[in-house]
Formats: sequence, C-alpha cells, structure tokens
Amino acid sequence: MSNLAIGLWSFPILISLIFLRMPIGLAMLLVGLGGSVAINGTTLMIVAQLKHLTYGTFSSYSLSIVPLFLLMGQFATLGKLSAALFKAAEAFLGHRRGGVAMAAVGACAGFGSICGSSLATAATMGQVALPELKKYGYSNALATGTLAAGGTLGILIPPSVILVIYAILTEQNIAKLFAAAMIPGLLAALGYMLTIHVYARLFPASAGTTERVPWAQRIIIMGSTWPVFIIFMLVVGGIYLGVFTPTEAAAVGAFGTGLVAFFNRGLHWQSFTNALLATASSTAMIFFIVLGAAIFNAFLASTQLPQTLAEYVSSQGYDPWLILGLVLLLYLLLGCVMDSLSMILLTVPIFFPIMVTLDFGMSAEHFALWFGILVLIVVEVGLITPPVGLNLFVINKMAKDVPIVETFRGVTPFVFADIVRVILLVLFPGITLWLVKLLY
Amino acid sequence: MRSAFVRSILNTGNTRSLMQTISSIVHGLARLMALLGGFVLVLLVLMTTASIAGRAMSSIGLAPIPGDFELVEMGMAFAVFAFLPWCQLQRGHASVEIMSNLFGNRGNAFLDLVSDLLMFLVALLITWQLGLGMLDKKSYFETSFILQWPSWWGYATALAGACVFSLVAFYCLLRSIRHVFRPHT
Repeated sequence: MSNLAIGLWSFPILISLIFLRMPIGLAMLLVGLGGSVAINGTTLMIVAQLKHLTYGTFSSYSLSIVPLFLLMGQFATLGKLSAALFKAAEAFLGHRRGGVAMAAVGACAGFGSICGSSLATAATMGQVALPELKKYGYSNALATGTLAAGGTLGILIPPSVILVIYAILTEQNIAKLFAAAMIPGLLAALGYMLTIHVYARLFPASAGTTERVPWAQRIIIMGSTWPVFIIFMLVVGGIYLGVFTPTEAAAVGAFGTGLVAFFNRGLHWQSFTNALLATASSTAMIFFIVLGAAIFNAFLASTQLPQTLAEYVSSQGYDPWLILGLVLLLYLLLGCVMDSLSMILLTVPIFFPIMVTLDFGMSAEHFALWFGILVLIVVEVGLITPPVGLNLFVINKMAKDVPIVETFRGVTPFVFADIVRVILLVLFPGITLWLVKLLY
Repeated sequence: MRSAFVRSILNTGNTRSLMQTISSIVHGLARLMALLGGFVLVLLVLMTTASIAGRAMSSIGLAPIPGDFELVEMGMAFAVFAFLPWCQLQRGHASVEIMSNLFGNRGNAFLDLVSDLLMFLVALLITWQLGLGMLDKKSYFETSFILQWPSWWGYATALAGACVFSLVAFYCLLRSIRHVFRPHT
C-alpha cells in the first residue's frame, strides 16, 4: 500500500474509533502511531519521537496561553461580575419588549470579553439570569434558548481559547485574529437581541419588561462593571499594542480576575480548589487532544496527503465559494456530534492547506483570518445544536423544571440567527477584515 | 492474596472494601497532583505579572524576572502532566457520545474497557519515553538558555505527573473491568 493510501485509510479508521466513544485525543494518537508504523515499517522511529514530543508539546510557550485563559475564566466566574453585568444591561434594556432576555445577551457579551470559554459563560450567566427571566414571566423556551445562545459569546468575543488554537495551527498572529473576531462577535450579540425582539413580537406572552431606569441611575449601575472594562482593555489592548505577549496577557487577565474574585469575597479555599480542579480537567483534555493531533498530523504530513489533496482540489478548478460553502456545512454537521476544539484540531490541518490555495480575491493572511472567524462561528453553532450541544445541557441542568425539548425549541431561532450571520460574513469579508485593516 | 485482589476487583466476594480503599487512595492522589499543578499555574500567573510590572518600571530601577519565559515553559509542562490523572479519573476526555444508545449498557461498558486499556498502554508509553527523554537530556548536560538550569529538571517534575497518570489509568482500567461484569454499579 502506498503512503497516500495509508493516509486515506486512516480516516475511516479514525472516525470509526471516535464513533465507538474512544476519547478523541486517544483515537488520533493511536491512529497516528499506527499509521507511522505502517509507513516506516518499524516502531522505533515514532516511539523515539515520543521521548521529547510530549514534553515539548506540553511545555510550548504559545500553548501555555490556554490554561491561563481557562483559569482566568474560572476566576471571572467567582468574581461575581456576571451579576453586575446583568444588572447594568438590564438597566439599559430591561424596559424594552423582551428586554430582560436582551440584557442577558448583553451581559454574556460583556462576560465573554473577559472569559474565553462558552461553557463557563453559559454556566455563570445562567445562574444570574435564569431566576430574573423567570421572575419577569419569560417562557422557559425563550429563557433557556437565550442563555444557551448567549453563552457562545464567551468564545465569539475575544479572548477566545478556540482562536488561540486556530492561530497556533495555522501560524497566524493571535492579536490580528482577536481583532478580526471583534466585529463578528458584536454582530452576534446584536443578532441575538434582534432575534429576541422578533420572538417577543410574535409571542408577546413569552416576554415581560422591567421598569424604565432613569439615565443617571443607569450610569451609576454601569459603573459597577468597571473591572470588566479594565481587564478587557489590559488583556486585549496589551496584546494589540505589543506591550506583552498573548501568554503574558492571559497571565495578567488571570491575575486581574483573581484579584476581583478575592475582593468580591468569591475566593475561599473551597471555591479556589474547585476552580483549580476545573482548570485542570479542561487543560488536560485540551492538551491531550493537542498531543494526539500533533502525532496524527505528523503522520498525515509524512503521507503527503494534505499536500496532494490541496493540489488536487486546486487543479480541478472548482468554484472556491462552493468549496467554502461545503466546508462550512460540514462543520455545521460535525458540530452536531463533536466538541468544537476536537473539530478544529482534527480538520484545520487538512482543510486549511486546501482552502488557502483557493482564490477568494484576498491575501493569504486576510484569508486565514477570515476563514478562522468563519470556522469559529460554525463550530460554535455546534454548542447549541441538538443532540449534543453542550451549552443546551449546561443551561437545562440549571433550569430544572424545563424539559430538554423545550430548550431545543427555544434555541432554534438563535441557530437561525447564527446561520444568517455566517452567510453575511461569507458574502462580505470586509465585515471581518475592516478592523484588522484599520489597526494594522 | 492475588485471588483476593482479583475477586475484589470483580466484586464477587466480600472483599469489597479493598477496591474502595484503592479508589479513595487513587482519587486523593489524582486530586493532590491536580492541585499541585494548579498551584504552579497560579505561581506562574504571579511570576509573569511581577515580571511584566518589573519590565514596565525599568525606568525606576526594577527589572523583569530573569528567565521568565523558561519558567513558564517548565512550570506549564509540570502542570499539564499533573492535570492528566485528574482528567482521566473524572472521564474528562472529549468523546463523541452520539452512538451510545445503540450499544446498550454491556456494549458501552466493553467499549470503555477497550478505551481504558489503550489509554493505560499509551500512558505507560508516554511515561517510559519521557523517562528516556530525561536521561537523554541529562547525558547531554543540556541547560536552559537564561537560567542555565539543567533541562532534565523539567522532565523529572513532568515524570512525577506521568507516573501518577499511568497509575490512575491502570485504576481506570480496573474500574472498567469491574463495570463490564457488573454494568449497573
């Protein structure tokens, strides 16, 4: 069997293992090892590589941003900023139709600016906003749907763990990716609010309002969210200005949210150790997949499959837009069964070399940024699509009396909003690239 | 002795307490390791912040911490290795559950067993090769760039985590063997 054939055969095997519930990182690692042995005819080479590959991967300076952002998110959750953000957003939006749900989305966006994880955002905002939404008579479907969708803003608005991984895989500048994510992220928040507005118009009984808050009061309430602004400006601004490396920025962010948690009395021994353990579990999960992906991708590269595939696709003269559409559709489908990080690590090393050869009328760098944001959004849709959308389950677990089917129903309009946004961003790359071009 | 051990794993005799004792020891060990890694992570946060502050205030005579990047790399490697056992014990690894309903209790227990067996073998492989890697670094007298610390120190701390990872992976294998025979426990 030729190397190329071995490369091609590795996919059905890998996918079968994954569907047989094998941890994704383990499946990639084993297929990568097995494939390398098949190519080299000996176990010696690949086993010897492991002497330094594992340590090298786990001690990578650029990857060390991941646990730091995860820790930052955990501290942000303990800092009780979610309540302040929600109160502020509610003061501005609560009196509108569907306003309390819009406030929840706004608060998620605010929280997303200091937290790089969707699950943490959904979980912490759910705790704060679910009781309020219930109090003002929001239907179960709308309340849980809003929060599950709002949670994805944690990833869509920088900082974002997924973007960091994408940046490392495709060797792109993290700061530029964060800049590219900014406007699509805000657009996501606006789109969700618009969805709520329409929903509340169609089903007026499903959404209540609060008293209108006078402007002077709004400003005062807004003032209590200052740590969020400071931390966001410090982290994202610091990276942009080159004051510190992305890893340092993440450390500063973790320090800042840690301080806030400490002064807001959210940090005691129990919650501190729980935050560390949660960080430990997510970090190990991510790094194990990264290790598996490193071994699998090294094997793939040695079969020359990605290169051959890229040459094949570009020589066929397919319509680039059609291919982009198919790739994004594939992500949407995969997202229904797989978590976003595994998807990125599994597919980007294969798709990216193909996509980057296609002509979309922009420079390779701009394409990489634009494609990254598109992928980020479509994989995040996976968090709110049944049957395995994790955000849906996080929120549903909190709203104990709501059947999961109702949450599925409630999130549907938001999925629709996501798809409309993806189409907009595909058709108008300028939306994504405008800020990048302005800043750099 | 050995048959009592096996029996306790399968939980067919009255020696249930042995598996429980092992369980609590392994749990405590994995948790301790994860917390150690977590403390190192927090230390890295403090160290990096202090280093940035030092760099920012270099005009008044302060300076960044020498070798701060190296410290992050070494500390992070230890932390990640220390986190692995906890993740394994908590079944924290990402997997695709969509077909689970098709396989039934028995089938799923069996699939978990296969995964846990392979994970244990991979853990052993990683630990073994990491150990060899450490000996390599030691024999080359390689040191870090700024601090001139021997590179094998980092490997040695990571090895502690990797050993616990192997141990915990072995425990998880026992746990799933037990599960295959008694799918409802």
